[in-house]
Amino acid sequence: MDVKLPKLGEGAESGVVVSIAVKEGDQVNKGQTILELENEKAVAAIPASAAGKVSRINVKPGDRISVGHVLITLDGAGNGAAAAEAKAEQPKKSAAPAARPTRRAAPEPEYEEEDFDSSEEQPEETAADKAGFAPPASPSIRKLARDIGLDLRKIQGSDAGGRIVLADIRAYIHRLQRAAARGRGGSAAPASPAAEAKPPVERIDFSQWGSITRKPLSPIRQTISRRMVENAASIPHVTQFDEADITALTELRKKYADAYEKKGARLTLTSFALKAVANTLKKFAIFNSSIDEAVNELVFKDYVHIGLAVDTEQGLLVPVIRDVDKKDLFQLSKDVQELAEKARARKVSLEEMKGGTFTISNQGGIGGAHFTPIINKPEVAILGLGRGAMKAVVKDKKIEPRLMMPIALSYDHRVIDGGEAARFTVELVQAFENFKEENIKI
Amino acid sequence: MDAIKTEIVVIGGGPGGYAAAFYAADKGNKVILVEQEKRLGGVCLNRGCIPSKALLHATKVMQEAKESSFRGITFGNPTLDLPKMRAWKEGILEKLSGGVKSLAGMRKVEVMHGRGIFEDSHTLRVETPDGQKFVQFDKAIVAVGSKPAIPKIFDLGNPRIMTSTEALEIEEVPNELLVIGGGYIGMELGTVYAALGSKVVVVEALDSILAGADPDLVRPVLKYAQKNFKEVRTKTKVTHMSTAGPKIKVVVEGEGGKKEELYDRVLVSVGRVPNCNDIGLENTKVSRDEKGFITVNPQQQTSDPNIYAIGDVAGGVMLAHKASKEARIAVEVINGEESAFENTIIPAVVFTDPEIAWAGLTEADAKAKGIDVLVSKFPWGASGRALSFDRTDGLTKLIVDPATERILGVGLVGAGAGELIGEGTLAIEMAATVNDLAQTVHPHPTLSETLMEAAEAFFGHATHTFTRKREE
Repeated sequence: MDVKLPKLGEGAESGVVVSIAVKEGDQVNKGQTILELENEKAVAAIPASAAGKVSRINVKPGDRISVGHVLITLDGAGNGAAAAEAKAEQPKKSAAPAARPTRRAAPEPEYEEEDFDSSEEQPEETAADKAGFAPPASPSIRKLARDIGLDLRKIQGSDAGGRIVLADIRAYIHRLQRAAARGRGGSAAPASPAAEAKPPVERIDFSQWGSITRKPLSPIRQTISRRMVENAASIPHVTQFDEADITALTELRKKYADAYEKKGARLTLTSFALKAVANTLKKFAIFNSSIDEAVNELVFKDYVHIGLAVDTEQGLLVPVIRDVDKKDLFQLSKDVQELAEKARARKVSLEEMKGGTFTISNQGGIGGAHFTPIINKPEVAILGLGRGAMKAVVKDKKIEPRLMMPIALSYDHRVIDGGEAARFTVELVQAFENFKEENIKI
Repeated sequence: MDAIKTEIVVIGGGPGGYAAAFYAADKGNKVILVEQEKRLGGVCLNRGCIPSKALLHATKVMQEAKESSFRGITFGNPTLDLPKMRAWKEGILEKLSGGVKSLAGMRKVEVMHGRGIFEDSHTLRVETPDGQKFVQFDKAIVAVGSKPAIPKIFDLGNPRIMTSTEALEIEEVPNELLVIGGGYIGMELGTVYAALGSKVVVVEALDSILAGADPDLVRPVLKYAQKNFKEVRTKTKVTHMSTAGPKIKVVVEGEGGKKEELYDRVLVSVGRVPNCNDIGLENTKVSRDEKGFITVNPQQQTSDPNIYAIGDVAGGVMLAHKASKEARIAVEVINGEESAFENTIIPAVVFTDPEIAWAGLTEADAKAKGIDVLVSKFPWGASGRALSFDRTDGLTKLIVDPATERILGVGLVGAGAGELIGEGTLAIEMAATVNDLAQTVHPHPTLSETLMEAAEAFFGHATHTFTRKREE
């Protein structure tokens, strides 16, 4: 019988053999470690899926192997004659309750944390599986699992015949919780046990230094707070600065502002920014992507939905404008106006704040220059625009007064490299500087 | 006219429908139960399970009386008072449906008598004896059941060509009775009429009666039928039927060729068809499969978000207890609970003489699907209890997963097998291993010991039988 590499867990399909724990001629038991495999996540012990004598070892340290690869060949298991032998023995085996076969050789109440998703044992398909039976558990346990959304197939039963009992569910949930806690601490690099053992918040009496007023944090503020902490902590941010010459663009805006106004839309710099960003995103798809961390995949979106940071009395809101790449400047101007009004009136729905692929935060109307915006997860980049200011710019070896707008692009360095960000910025600056008049006309 | 508003309307008052209505009421829903007949209980109570079991009991008493002389008891020849027998049977049905009605009353379930027809996805028109009523519902549960199929060539409008419905009325005991279809309905009713004195001929198109049951379980039933019926012919079809005076002429085609035969009555038991052709489903988004059954997901939801379907009309095995289980699932899902018809073991019982019962995986199923299983058997010849009432023509067997020794199926044939299968079903649902069953003490002397002994036989140490070591 061949022992193959079992599925190791989500997204982990292969690994490198670190060491081999058995040699030819060895007698191995089911569940005994036969080799260690290193994958992206951890070093995992790979157990034998059956008992028998090792007749052949098919891998060596350093080999890169993937799921299904034959690791070793066992004699005395699986093949016809041997199976019959095993069956003939079964009555004897089972007569002694201690040797009754269970799915897990020695059930332990505690699971090894390390093997949480790296050595999820893939038991061989039993007759019960083939016949489409429920995992071995009583109806009440199955109902419990359904109620709390547990997949019983992932749980090893400790009772006779691998039956899953309440204790197994408890142990499994325990293990999930510990894994989840580890995951939270783990993303913040090795030397951060602090994340797990957060000290209780120390309360400071501010009134000892003068008079104060206290206000409860509004639900919006609490959400903003939670998301900012999450985004700032989990994404490695880099912010790229530049300036765009918007002298010509401002002239164009002035030229067409009235025409837009007459048709009921305000032509603002934000509308131009939307168009410029959408065009640039089309050329740099990675800036319009998301990471699916669960499966380690990049998700590229064929749509361009841009979120606009709106400053409201209650705090920051980010309504999303859909299909920016498919809309003309007039439509975008109308959308911006509508959404901003809705946001300020607190009438923007939760739906209207979802599905963004990129965010623009334009502080130009207020003032200030460069700033470092925080990425709005699951997006991977955000553009911050400052107030345009007249600057002495050297152009064709002459100093000219030009209206320069500060731009700042924060990007997720896990998926976007610096070179790519610089190229994006250059392209974007050009989009502002060479905005075509024909795209403004209405 | 003002519509009557309700949270849930259940259409059909059979074992699926009334179970759904009651459970929903128990959960606090406002429920209306629509039933087109005067009596609640559906086919099961009025024209199926219950009356057939009553008649089987009565005829068994007759049979035993006839066959007790060897025990030293001799009765006179039993005489039959058909009107009295019918009245006795009616009394049972009356009592049961009265019980269902009063249970509805106690739960404040409004029972509306009349035909229910969907106007749209939230309105049901009910044609009651006092005119039309409109029910506006949040959710509807369709539980309108099924009726005996009667192929066109048999549908001559002759009252002596019966379906199970008419056969259960036992208007008379025909001298010669032809039963078309050797499924469980044909075999059960054939047993009744044979005991009453008819010469029963069963014809079955397939190569065995009671298709679906394991052959070793069918064998004792076939033996009984061969002794007590005039004939059981498999691989045989009825290709033509016509009225010939007081008789019915049929053309039978079997392995021996074509034959013309005359019968006094014919029972057509060739399957059942769903009752959902004229309940206005076309006015909803409910979709149906090619056989006319309503298609549902494991939550019993149809393709119309407001409408659920349960029981025979939703396809699958047509058994009352399956309908009742689906009723609970539909009500739970409507009430926002996590529930689904998945991995549910539905036991089956055939009330022939002897009875056949099984649950879970059958040996035939395992073979057909290429699933490697172990089978352990205990013949009732070794059961003291079976010997004590002269019915050793029984067998208990377990279908076992070789890797885990989990019990995947239980098969039984023998007198009272139907009462034993409950333990088997529980064992399978609990994922019991053979050893669990062997370790459980069973009372002596009972037939339930045969389950324990079959488990012990698996390990080669059953007390009352000797099993050689398994050789495979």
